[in-house]
Amino acid sequence: MARVYNWQIGREMSYWYPEARPRRQFAAVFDINKCIACQTCTLACKTTWTSGKGQEYMLWNNVETKPYGSYPLAYDVKLLELLGGQEWDGNRYAGRTLFEAAPAGERVLGWHPTGEDYAFPNAGEDDCAGQVDHGEFFALPHARWFFYLARICNHCTYPACLASCPRGSIYKRPEDGIVLVDQGRCRGYQECVKGCPYKKVFYNPLTGTSEKCIACFPKIEQGIQPQCFVNCIGKIRLAGWISTPDKARPDNPIDYLVHIRKVALPLFPQFGLEPNVYYIPPVHAPDAFNRQLFGAGAPQAVRTYREAARDADLAGLLCLFGSTEMVVARFRRQGEIIIGADEKGAEVVRVPLREPVVVRPARDPHTQIVRINCP
Amino acid sequence: MSTRCYWLAGFLLVAAGCSRGPKLVNEVVAVETTRLPEGPRDRTWRDAPEHRAALLVQDLVEPRLMAPSTPEVAVRALTNGAEIVFRLEWPDAGADDMPGPARMVDACAVQLPETIEPDLPDPQMGQEGRLVEIAYWRADWQAWVNGRGDTIRDLYPNASIDHYPFQAKPLEPGSAAARELERLYSPALAAGNLRAGPRKTPVESLIATGPGTLSSAATQNATGQGVFEKGRWSVVIRRPLPKGLGRDQRTHVAFAVWQGSNQEAGARKMRTGWIPLVRRAGS
Ligand code: SF4
Ligand code: SF4
Repeated sequence: MARVYNWQIGREMSYWYPEARPRRQFAAVFDINKCIACQTCTLACKTTWTSGKGQEYMLWNNVETKPYGSYPLAYDVKLLELLGGQEWDGNRYAGRTLFEAAPAGERVLGWHPTGEDYAFPNAGEDDCAGQVDHGEFFALPHARWFFYLARICNHCTYPACLASCPRGSIYKRPEDGIVLVDQGRCRGYQECVKGCPYKKVFYNPLTGTSEKCIACFPKIEQGIQPQCFVNCIGKIRLAGWISTPDKARPDNPIDYLVHIRKVALPLFPQFGLEPNVYYIPPVHAPDAFNRQLFGAGAPQAVRTYREAARDADLAGLLCLFGSTEMVVARFRRQGEIIIGADEKGAEVVRVPLREPVVVRPARDPHTQIVRINCP
Repeated sequence: MSTRCYWLAGFLLVAAGCSRGPKLVNEVVAVETTRLPEGPRDRTWRDAPEHRAALLVQDLVEPRLMAPSTPEVAVRALTNGAEIVFRLEWPDAGADDMPGPARMVDACAVQLPETIEPDLPDPQMGQEGRLVEIAYWRADWQAWVNGRGDTIRDLYPNASIDHYPFQAKPLEPGSAAARELERLYSPALAAGNLRAGPRKTPVESLIATGPGTLSSAATQNATGQGVFEKGRWSVVIRRPLPKGLGRDQRTHVAFAVWQGSNQEAGARKMRTGWIPLVRRAGS
């Protein structure tokens, strides 16, 4: 094992391979507070990439209703329990990562979902909403709250899938940090399925190889955001590029949200993979739960987000989510207008900080009919 | 085991003792024959002595197999001077031939050095610059060859499927365009990965130069057949005779067995070291 630096846990850690960051890293921010669980993202992905034989059960993108929903079943709590206590010492993670907790003979601490674990996507979704036909299955031991957690592969800086593969069939592209399973080389040992804590590699029993989210790399290569981003009804997603904290640029939307405003946080940073999908935590979930999912910075991120209405730069940047098909690599604000640009600074989109609202009288005096006003 | 079972086992042992058991040898002997057997039940196998190779856990590279499973593999071999056929037999509580998430399948392999030489490559998949040839059989490939379909319902009978794009109009069912679209939605097939099914033979020819380097051989020249009966796999693997292996000459061979029910796949396996392999005249 090599020693590598993981900024998300504020320390060095052990990893199977030496640190080799890509020239640039694909990253995303998901604003959990805006997701409506319509699953349009799930279907956009499904119809594009996983409509083949052997892919029937695969959801490279899934949206689960927390605290109970999950896919595969209990993927998160099973591993949290296996890992044991996960203490933070300020912003430094004091517990063990999945690489450090690997049992003898293993490369990563993991577990292997069975067919049944994939058979109940999002089981428990209704219980936390309090709307179960014929009554609830169990009494909640806490006040009622829930939120929707949309998940794709995190294209981790230290992927557990890649570390688990004994034959190097998984690689991280140096040009964009996208993590791929080489379909010509994979032999279907399923070590990656067992190793990925987010369970974002899936075994195809008909081709006999493991498959995963490819971050729509053919689109990314053309500067276009992936399918689950551009089809998102709630406009919760923004794709881009993340720098390491020491190189953070204030005009890079991802850097700004993650490093500068610290309002977007990785999912389960304590696992040690340095995942590159960042979440604006849900404002209605208890701090303790948010801390477990998003690390020590979660309560502060919620406070920052709640203040966004009085913060033109932050609110403006949030307005860029879902505003264009193109990857927005730079942004700037001109008064009430937010401008998104590509890496060379060429403008790709501009949006107003406040959408103009027009309220028309219900009865049109000209045509003498009653109209319905839609926002 | 109940008392009655002991009685039964004792009776079976006596009965087995009455019939002629296989001739046991301490190396693998490939006996010359004019007709190579197609399957493991062929009578020709009676002419070949048996070598019982103790299996070791693969505990040299991660991920390892931490506890031993299959104890030994019984091996016989026959050759017609051009090809060599091995028969591997090992006990297994049940046949695991249904692939799926966390569903591993039974498998076995035969490994030979690329060339006959006294200084052998590393028995663990060869080493850099020292290639080994591997013929690998899998139970799910065997099931395909035996006629199992290649749809998800053949593996999960209750699976429900809305629709596949390659079965949608205006594509004609079974047309070249429909087949091409189906192939594109099977990434491993589209990438030309020989590991991907459905396969026409249950054996793949592979080469390796060390752990993690296994790849398909340029020439696919191995075939075989496996049968599961009475708690035992019998698998024949047929491949070209190692170049230069004349009568009474020796090379080496190694074997590996994977128990699907024990989550064995890839590096998690039981294996042997190099075992001498000699070619002898038939009687
Ligand atoms: S989320 Fe899982 S599949 Fe994706 S890169 Fe990380 S470890 Fe690999
Ligand atoms: S499309 Fe957007 S809003 Fe709908 S479920 Fe997916 S992430 Fe949530």
